[in-house]
Amino acid sequence: MSLRSPLGRALGAGSAKEGVHHWWSQRLSAVALVPLSIWFVVSMLSLPSHDYAMVTAWMEQGWTPVFLILFVLTAAWHSHLGVRVVVEDYVHNSGTKSLALALVAFLHVVIAVAGVFAILKVAFGGAA
Amino acid sequence: MADFRLPANSRIRKGTTHTAPEGAREVRTFRIYRFDPDSGENPRVDTFELEAGECGQMVLDALIRIKSTVDSSLTFRRSCREGICGSCAMNIDGVNRLACITSLHDLGREVRIYPLPHMPVVKDLVPDLTHFYAQYASVKPWLLAHQSPPPPDRERLQSKAEQEKIDRPAACILCACCSTSCPSYWWNSDRYLGPAALLAAYRWIIDSRDEAGGERLDALEDPFKLYRCHTIMNCTDVCPKDLNPARAIAEIKKMLVERQS
Repeated sequence: MSLRSPLGRALGAGSAKEGVHHWWSQRLSAVALVPLSIWFVVSMLSLPSHDYAMVTAWMEQGWTPVFLILFVLTAAWHSHLGVRVVVEDYVHNSGTKSLALALVAFLHVVIAVAGVFAILKVAFGGAA
Repeated sequence: MADFRLPANSRIRKGTTHTAPEGAREVRTFRIYRFDPDSGENPRVDTFELEAGECGQMVLDALIRIKSTVDSSLTFRRSCREGICGSCAMNIDGVNRLACITSLHDLGREVRIYPLPHMPVVKDLVPDLTHFYAQYASVKPWLLAHQSPPPPDRERLQSKAEQEKIDRPAACILCACCSTSCPSYWWNSDRYLGPAALLAAYRWIIDSRDEAGGERLDALEDPFKLYRCHTIMNCTDVCPKDLNPARAIAEIKKMLVERQS
């Protein structure tokens, strides 16, 4: 039992003076993902077949790798912002929370880097 | 990480049934959550059957009827019986509302009554709102205008349009229906201020006489105090005064973005 006053408990550690950037980035990345996702789905559907040769050929042409990289980076960024909030919402033990947040951050960086690397490799003809 | 065991006093037992008086023509059933911390026992749900004609118009009338004729130990808060004091907020048929302005005619033959969700229970239908009130106090719900001295010969004036902006947000009666219906508030009420306190903060931020808008926004700019709101909008859905706390929170978020660029 704590004898701290109710107001003291409500004020807590005060304001972190943060959150605007997170909130705004999440909205901006969501808006960016609308055209990017539509472009990706339409492109996939309009490919005549989905075998390895056909898809890599599509990935090499014109602006495709640029849009693909934008798609992967925006999706990873947006997902990181969202999953972070889920962890903050539900994980209340401060040690577990720090660990989970670090894992989430690392995982998203790995996914983004691996995605971009794969796209570049195909685009520059490194993947036969 | 996750807590797999329920906290103490979460398991609800079946309680006693008080059957309707013999010869009752039309029966209304009330299933009411009962908890007495002094007994050391888990909560139970008691069943009260009343003759429909004796229930009165509103849920509160039925509760008072039960208290005065069946079980005088039934505990609940009530005062004005006209939806302006906010005392009798409770969960009726799964929705947070004021018992005094919830008509029995709008409900089924069987009515389930629980205290406001996810709050510590003092007894029966009385939740402990200490933290809720402290959060309200923490947003400094009063005029802060220390820079300009008040005019010596009159009050601080406001235009009609300026007054109309705060008319609705200022009509909040602090019944706690909104905050206790919010899942974000359930999981993080220790740090998230909740719709009621944020609506109050908004009411003072947009008050044309107030000079502390910037400080008020500073105090809210926090991942937990404000940004735990995920626009679930249960708050606006349940508000018995038809106010819109979700809108107020969205406006605060907008002001925080706007002052950056």
